[in-house]
Amino acid sequence: MLNAIIYLAALGAFYALVYYLNHRTPRPEGCEEIDATCGTCSLGHCGNHPSQQFTEVKLTLKEKNNA
Amino acid sequence: MELFSLFFGAVVINNVVLTKFLGMCPLLGVSRKTSSAIGMGAAVVFVIFGSSVFTYALYYQVLVPLNLQYMDLITFILVIAAFVQFVELVLKKYSPVLYKALGIYLPLITTNCVVLYVTLFNITEGFTFVEMIVYSLAAPIGFMLVLYIFSTIRERLDLADVPAAFKGNPIALIVAALMAAVFTSFVGLI
Repeated sequence: MLNAIIYLAALGAFYALVYYLNHRTPRPEGCEEIDATCGTCSLGHCGNHPSQQFTEVKLTLKEKNNA
Repeated sequence: MELFSLFFGAVVINNVVLTKFLGMCPLLGVSRKTSSAIGMGAAVVFVIFGSSVFTYALYYQVLVPLNLQYMDLITFILVIAAFVQFVELVLKKYSPVLYKALGIYLPLITTNCVVLYVTLFNITEGFTFVEMIVYSLAAPIGFMLVLYIFSTIRERLDLADVPAAFKGNPIALIVAALMAAVFTSFVGLI
């Protein structure tokens, strides 16, 4: 039982570390708005859907649509 | 010959999309354009192969010695999610061109159930290391093949005179059903 808890905690910590490092790494030039341009499917609740992005990105998209 | 049968069977006869109906969400969502389908397919091949090797090693080198085989599902979910994050990190840092090419498809793969299916199937079937390598390449190649064929059909459907009630996903699902019927006709070939 203790083995399982330690193992799971280690795995969770590994995921958290990789997640943190990934989000801390800046995106390469030209890929800054890669999430905002995802329109592959119409699932609005997906974290990558433009509607779930930050307000600034939403405003940019609105401006683009209006233009 | 056995390895070839395994490869051909996973690509065509037991195709994960058309016989198990896994990965239907990306099939419908990313098949509108051929370029998107190829991008998604390539990313899926890469992630499934990498995560399969990693989970296979983890299962036999860590879970089995610790007698924690019952934790395979949660382990594989976490490993796949972590692997996708790791690959994204490495690509961002060392290969911006590939990162740009895979684009949004890389993080989307975390939610593709084919990845989890392949990693679990490798264990439940008791594959050897070589068999695991072959199957982990064949299953996503089959996914990519179906995605590509489906996208070419959908691009033509956009130009076709489809009745209003069938436009969009309804006609796409009918096409998927016809493709499943075609692919199941290969049963018995090997």
